[in-house]
Amino acid sequence: MAPYPWRPITERRCNRLTPAVLLAAGVFCLIPAETLHAQQPQHRHEAPAQILAPGYRVLEYEAPEPGTYQLPPLGRAGGGLVLDEAGRERPLNEFLGDKFVVLSFIFTSCNDVNGCPLATFVLGQLQQRLDADRRLKDQVRMVSLSFDPDFDTPQVMVEYGRKFSRNNYDWRFLTTASTERLQPLLRGFNQSVQKEYNEAGEYTGNISHILRVFLLDKASRVRNIYSVSFLHADTVINDIITLAMEGGDDGFGAAPQATAGAGEGAAGDGALSGLPALEIPENNPLTQEKILLGRQLFFDRRLSHNNTLSCAMCHIPEQGFTSQELSVAIGIEGRTLRRNAPTLYNVGFARVLFHDARENLLEQQVWTPLLARNEMANPSVGFVIDRLKSLPEYRGKFEQAFDGKGPGMETVGMALASYQRTLNSAGSAFDRWYYGGDKDALDEQARAGFGLFTGKARCVACHTVNRDYALFTDHALHNTGIGYLVSMGTPDDKVQVTVAPGTTLTVDRAFITLAGKPAPNDLGHYEITGDPDDRWKYRTPMLRNVALSAPYMHNGSLRTLREVVEFYNRGGIRNELLDPLVQPLGLSDAEMDSIVAFLNSLTGSNVDELVADALTQPVGNVTR
Amino acid sequence: MKQLTGPVYFIAFLFLLSITSTASADETCMSPYMAKIVGQEDFVYVWTLGMEGLGDEQDKLVTVDVNPQSENYGKVVHTLSVGGRNEAHHSGLTDDRRYLWASGLDTSRIFIFDIHTDPAEPRLHKTIDDFVSRSGGVVGPHTSYAMPGRMLITGLSNDKDHGGITGMVEYTNDGEYIATYWMPTDGDLQGAAKSGSFADGYGYDVRALPRRNVLVTSSFTGWNNYMMDLGQMMADPEAMQRFGNTVVVWDLHKRQPKKVLDVPGAPLELRCAWGSRNNYCFTTTALTSKIWLIYEDDGGDWHAKPVADIGVAEQIPLPVDISISADDSLLWVDTWNDGMARVFDISDPHNAKEIYAEKIGAQINMLSQSWDGKRVYFTSSLLSNWDKRQAEEGEDLQYFKSYTWDGEKLTLQFSIDFLAAGLGMPHQMRFGSYALYAKNRPAGEDGAVSVAANY
Repeated sequence: MAPYPWRPITERRCNRLTPAVLLAAGVFCLIPAETLHAQQPQHRHEAPAQILAPGYRVLEYEAPEPGTYQLPPLGRAGGGLVLDEAGRERPLNEFLGDKFVVLSFIFTSCNDVNGCPLATFVLGQLQQRLDADRRLKDQVRMVSLSFDPDFDTPQVMVEYGRKFSRNNYDWRFLTTASTERLQPLLRGFNQSVQKEYNEAGEYTGNISHILRVFLLDKASRVRNIYSVSFLHADTVINDIITLAMEGGDDGFGAAPQATAGAGEGAAGDGALSGLPALEIPENNPLTQEKILLGRQLFFDRRLSHNNTLSCAMCHIPEQGFTSQELSVAIGIEGRTLRRNAPTLYNVGFARVLFHDARENLLEQQVWTPLLARNEMANPSVGFVIDRLKSLPEYRGKFEQAFDGKGPGMETVGMALASYQRTLNSAGSAFDRWYYGGDKDALDEQARAGFGLFTGKARCVACHTVNRDYALFTDHALHNTGIGYLVSMGTPDDKVQVTVAPGTTLTVDRAFITLAGKPAPNDLGHYEITGDPDDRWKYRTPMLRNVALSAPYMHNGSLRTLREVVEFYNRGGIRNELLDPLVQPLGLSDAEMDSIVAFLNSLTGSNVDELVADALTQPVGNVTR
Repeated sequence: MKQLTGPVYFIAFLFLLSITSTASADETCMSPYMAKIVGQEDFVYVWTLGMEGLGDEQDKLVTVDVNPQSENYGKVVHTLSVGGRNEAHHSGLTDDRRYLWASGLDTSRIFIFDIHTDPAEPRLHKTIDDFVSRSGGVVGPHTSYAMPGRMLITGLSNDKDHGGITGMVEYTNDGEYIATYWMPTDGDLQGAAKSGSFADGYGYDVRALPRRNVLVTSSFTGWNNYMMDLGQMMADPEAMQRFGNTVVVWDLHKRQPKKVLDVPGAPLELRCAWGSRNNYCFTTTALTSKIWLIYEDDGGDWHAKPVADIGVAEQIPLPVDISISADDSLLWVDTWNDGMARVFDISDPHNAKEIYAEKIGAQINMLSQSWDGKRVYFTSSLLSNWDKRQAEEGEDLQYFKSYTWDGEKLTLQFSIDFLAAGLGMPHQMRFGSYALYAKNRPAGEDGAVSVAANY
C-alpha cells in the first residue's frame, strides 16, 4: 500500500514556501501544530512525531547507477488543457514529448512540508544538478501543475515560480481554467485529490492527495512515479540519465540510430559511436521500402516449407537476435543442427558469414537457411518465390521496393540483407568512455577489464579494437579446441541433468545416447576449404551486445561470459591445431570479473529501440 | 479369441454439470460434458505420426476394430492420411461425439474427422490451417477438450520464440475461432494468485470440474524442446531449464486464472476424480517422476502436493499418460522409458501406492480404458524426435496393444505392429461406437446389438 504522506493541517495555511526557508522558517511554520512524518499513514487527529522526507536529506543509500537498470513504460501521460503563465489555454501535450519531463501536481497554498513543498524542493535541487551537466540540462523540463484552479491563477503560479526557478531554467508553472478542465488531467495521471471540508461543511482550502511526481520520456510515456518515501533529486537525476542512455539518445556521444521502423536514418551510415562506416553493396542501396519488406520477410513463418519457421524464430529480437533458450538451434520438424544461432547485431559489418565462414555477402547468405533441409527446408528457390507471389500481404511490395521487379532470388536476398543491415548497435558505455571521452561512463572495474582485455588477457589479438571504432573481431577463424573436443573427446559416463529447478539428477550417458540420434560431426572451416589445417576453426564473433547473446561459442556450450573467460584463462583445449594465440593466461578471479564487467559494458544504447521496432512487425502465419 | 463377460450392450449418455457417483471414466478420462460409451466399444481411432522412410510417411487416423463380436476384431479396418508430418499427438471428441479433433504440435494444423456418418470409416470433415494466426500466436495445439458446443484447445508454444509461453484457444464445434486465453505469467498474472516460485505461462493439458466451476491446466515445454532430439535436449542445459513447473486453477466460467500452483518437473496429463465429493485431480511430473494431487481444501482453496514416487527418478522413467478408474480407486500410469504400465491405488488420494506393474513394450505412451475398466489399450509413441530408434530383442517398438484387466493382472488380447504394417508411430486413442449414433453394425457381422444414444 502506498503511504499516505500528506497530512492536511486545517488550522493554518503556510503559503509561499521557498526551498531556502523550508528547512528553517518554513518548517516552523508548520510545526506548531505537529511535527513531520514521512512514512506512516496516520489519522487526522493524531499528532505523531514527524520527520522530514528523504528528499530533504542526503540519500541514505547509493542511488542505482544510471543505465544499470530499466524503467519500463508505465503508460502514456494524461492529456488535457492547461493555462500557461500568460493565461493562455494550451494542451498539456505541448509541454511534453520534446524533452524528459518531471511533472509534479501541487497547489501553492499547500501546507504539508512533506507534500507539495517537498516536490518543489526536489525539483529545485534538480536544477542545481542539471546545471552541472549542460548536455542534460537542455533535455529536461520540469512542470509544476496546480490542482487548485480556484486559488492558483496564472498570476499566482508566476509568483510562486519566481521563488524557485533560477536562470531562466525550463521550469513551467501551469494551472487550469477550472475544476472541469482539471479532471481529465487528474484521471490521466491517476492522481486522486479530495478537497477537505470542516464539520460545518465549509471548504477548508486544503486538498488531500497522495504525493506523486512523474518522470516522462520523450514519447510522453510515464517511466517512473515517485512517492514521498523515495522522491529524491539523486534518484530522479539518475533516472533521467538512464532514459537518456537508452535508445542512443543523444547528449551522451551516441548519434541518432539507423532503424527500419523509425523511417529515418535508414541509410545505415554507421554513424553510431564506435562503429565504422557501413559498407553497402552498390547494387543494393538501403531504402525504407527494402528495409520494411526485409523485415516482413524476416518474421514470416511461411518462408519455411511447412509454415513453422521464420528467420526470427531462431534470431529472436528479445533474445539478442539469437536464441538464449537453446545451445544449438532447432530446424524444421525438430531436425538437429550443429551450431548456435549467431546474433545478428551488426551483421552488416561482418566480412565472413556463418560460423565456418562459408559465405561473404548477406544477399547470398539468406538462401542457405531457406533451402537447408534441416533448417527451413524449402524444396527449391522456385517454391519460395511462388509462395511469396501467392501471398496477398506481399502484393506490389517487391515491385515498389525494386523498381518494378517482383519476388525473385535476387530481390528476396536484397530485401532480407537490407533489414539485417539496420540491426546496428553501439553507443555503449564503453563507446561513451573510449570514443566519447566521458570519463565517468565506465566504472573502475570495467576500465580495469578493458586494460586486461587489451593487455594481459590478449583478447584484443582476435577481438580487434581500432582507433576510431571497434567491431571486436579480426574477421578470421581460429581453433580454440571447443570443436576438437566434440569430435575427438571422450565424454563422461555420467551426465548431470537438471530436471526441475533445484533438482539435478546424475544420469547414465548411455540413456542420453540411446534416447537420441547422434549429432552430426562438425569440422568447422575445413568443411569449406578441405584443408586439414582448417579443422575445428570457427569465426571470431563480434562482441558488441555480447551480454545479450548467451549461450556462447559456436556450439553454445558455454553458458555465461564468466565461463568463456575461464575457458580462455585455462588456455582453451589442447589439440595439435590449437591457435597459438590461445594460451593459459594466469588471470585471477578478480581479473576475470573485471573482464566480464568490461564485456557487459558493450551493450549498445539502441537495443531497446531495435527490439521495439522488430516487435511492431506482425508475424506472418497461414491465414484462411 | 476371448469372449468378454456379460451381455454386450451399449449405452451412451451425456453428463451434465452435476456428476453423481454412478456417473462417468478413456472413457474414464474424457470431458464430463461428453457422451460416454459404458458398454463395449466398437472401434479405437489411433492418431498416428507419419515416419520418414516408412509407408506413405505422413500422419494418419488409423481405425482398429476392437469388438470381439466382429469378424474384423483385432484388425486395422481403415486408414486416412492427412498430408505431411504435423507431429500428430493428441485428439479429442466434441461433446456430441460426432467429430474427432486431432491436432499437430508442429504445424499447428487441426484435422476434424467425421466419425458419426460411418464409425468404421472416418472421413476428413475440415482442416483448420490458420490456428496460429487466428489465436494471435499460439503454437502447438495439444488437448482438444469438449465444452458444451465448443472445444477448448490447449497450446504448447508461441510464434514469437517457439518457447513455452502459450495460451488456450476456444473454438465452436463448427471450427470457428472464439477466443484466446493466455496462461498467467510473472509478467502478467491476470489477477491470479501466485502461490509459489513459478508462474511460467506454459501449457499442456486441461480438465474441468464443472461443479466446482474449476478448470485445471498443466505445463510442459515449448516447440524448441518437444521437437528436439531427446538425447540432444537432455545434454543441453539451456533447453532443460525450459520446462513447465506449474498447474493453474482457473475460474471455469470466467476463463480467468485464479491460482498458480508450483508443480515442478513438467506436469503433463490431468485427470479429475469423478465422485461427487472428490474435489481433486491428479497429474504426474514427467521429469521428477511423481504423482501430484491437485485438491481443494474445506475452505475452497486449491493446493498441490506430491503423493507418490513413480519408479526411480534417476532412471528417468518419464511418466506419460495416466488414466483414472470410474470409481476413483485406481490410477494407471505409463512410464515411457521403461515401457511399464503401473497401477496405483488412490482410494486415499493423499497417499497413492503402486500395486501392479507390467512391461508392455520397449516404450509406452498412451493408455485408454473402457468405462467398466475391463479393457485397456496401449500405444507406444511419445514424440517423433523423442521416440526410441531401436528395441531390445523381443520387445515391441511401435505398437497398439489390447489387454483385459481382471482387477489383478493384465492379459494381452492382441497386438498390432505399426512399423511392420507401414503405418507409423501410434499415439492417442479415442473410442467409437455405432450405438452413439443410433446405428447398427452393418448386416453380415455378428453380435451387433445396440442401444441408441439418447441425448
